[in-house]
Amino acid sequence: MGKVNYKRLKGGQQFRQRLVLATLSSTPILIEDIRSDDISPGLRPHEVSLLRLVERISDDCTVEINDTGTKLKYKPGVVIGGKHLVHDCGLSRSIGYFLEPLILLGLFGKKPLSIRLKGITNDPKDPSVDTFRTTTMHLLKHFGVPLEGLDLKIESRGAPPLGGGEVVLGVPIVPGSLSAANWIDEGMVRRIRGVAFSTRVSPQIGNRMVYAARGIFNSFIPDVHIFIDSKSGPSGGKSPGYGISLVAETTSGCLISADSAVCYTQEDLDHMNDSEEKPDLLPPEDLGVRVASMLLGEIEQGGVVDSTHQGLVFLLCALCPQDVSKVRVGRLTPYGIETLRNIREFLGVKFVITPEPVTSTVLLKCVGCGLKNLSRKAS
Amino acid sequence: TISRQNKNLMQLVYGQPGLEIGAAVQERLSGSESEDGEDDEFFKPKGEREKTSNEGIGADSFSAEDCSKYSNYANTKDWSNDDLIQSIRDRFVTGDWSK
Repeated sequence: MGKVNYKRLKGGQQFRQRLVLATLSSTPILIEDIRSDDISPGLRPHEVSLLRLVERISDDCTVEINDTGTKLKYKPGVVIGGKHLVHDCGLSRSIGYFLEPLILLGLFGKKPLSIRLKGITNDPKDPSVDTFRTTTMHLLKHFGVPLEGLDLKIESRGAPPLGGGEVVLGVPIVPGSLSAANWIDEGMVRRIRGVAFSTRVSPQIGNRMVYAARGIFNSFIPDVHIFIDSKSGPSGGKSPGYGISLVAETTSGCLISADSAVCYTQEDLDHMNDSEEKPDLLPPEDLGVRVASMLLGEIEQGGVVDSTHQGLVFLLCALCPQDVSKVRVGRLTPYGIETLRNIREFLGVKFVITPEPVTSTVLLKCVGCGLKNLSRKAS
Repeated sequence: TISRQNKNLMQLVYGQPGLEIGAAVQERLSGSESEDGEDDEFFKPKGEREKTSNEGIGADSFSAEDCSKYSNYANTKDWSNDDLIQSIRDRFVTGDWSK
């Protein structure tokens, strides 16, 4: 074996994107100084879990981590995909953290992917599985991804800190390559849909969230329907929690989402064991109002996707064939900017970014890197 | 902050054109010691860029947290306010189209 040329990177930030881009561009990477100055240095449990997941769905990749976890050597293999896989996502981040990289890798696999993921389905930090189902998956069709085989089944929910949720994700493969998108018309909001979930709490809480959220939308649009999903028993996971995920559908088929959830932390639980009283959570009414306001904030900003999905859209644009893709977003998010930088570093694709002062949105144009589904070709 | 954003979005994202950073720094794993200096050079601009582009996007809110959701609760507005309601009314099909 000859020597491998590793692309050298530093720090633990943007771990998911680096991993995905390294895999898709077949670039071996060597990351050093991963939180080496931190109190708890090295890779986090969810990052290791993601590495194991990538190992599982690909063939011939190698992962080496040093003792303290501050240095990672990763040589990507071929993404294989496969059926009836199972992966425990752990409890340090929710399933939403894993879904985004997984769907991108799955698209460029050799065989369609179907995998059962266990862990936390809804938490305040990551996009929830509901948002993924209602928004993220539909975003792919703008880039020519076949919708057959693309689905996410929520079998049970799990809130932090103990999780206990299970979802089954199916990702089809892209037969040849993606197709470039010209996606700049955000249209007007024609209806609002959503899911309010609750686990191991009074089922009434779902109604209270929906009632409060609807109150906000009343001054805008009558067509609001929010589905209530109250889980109890085994399908409700191991921890109490509730949350709401809202989607605004526009006349041009764009989906703008916002979601949040509330739950106890591990410290709260320890505290509850010591004393009888429960720490207060944000009341369901306040959460409903907050998420509804977040959604209106996203609508006000404009753009064909919400701020959560900027990164994914940029990645999809860059992975397109060598045609011009054009998308419009609202204000660029820090994560979106980091994504653009990573894309240039790994794929050599640079976006032309022009602000539009009239609508205060941002237009992004790029020529895709022409990624073909090589895993499939090799068969 | 929007007008400030407009001037240099490209620069904000990709850095000053003058101080172009190599898009692909690849080196042999062996003999890496001697090239540590280059690494420093490679990674410095990003930190500096974040410092200089402090206003608007990203400076302090960007953390090492790898999270695609951009939750900014502090900026959540009170949408029961009539002026605010009017400001985005036309984003809905129920808005006034005659304008």
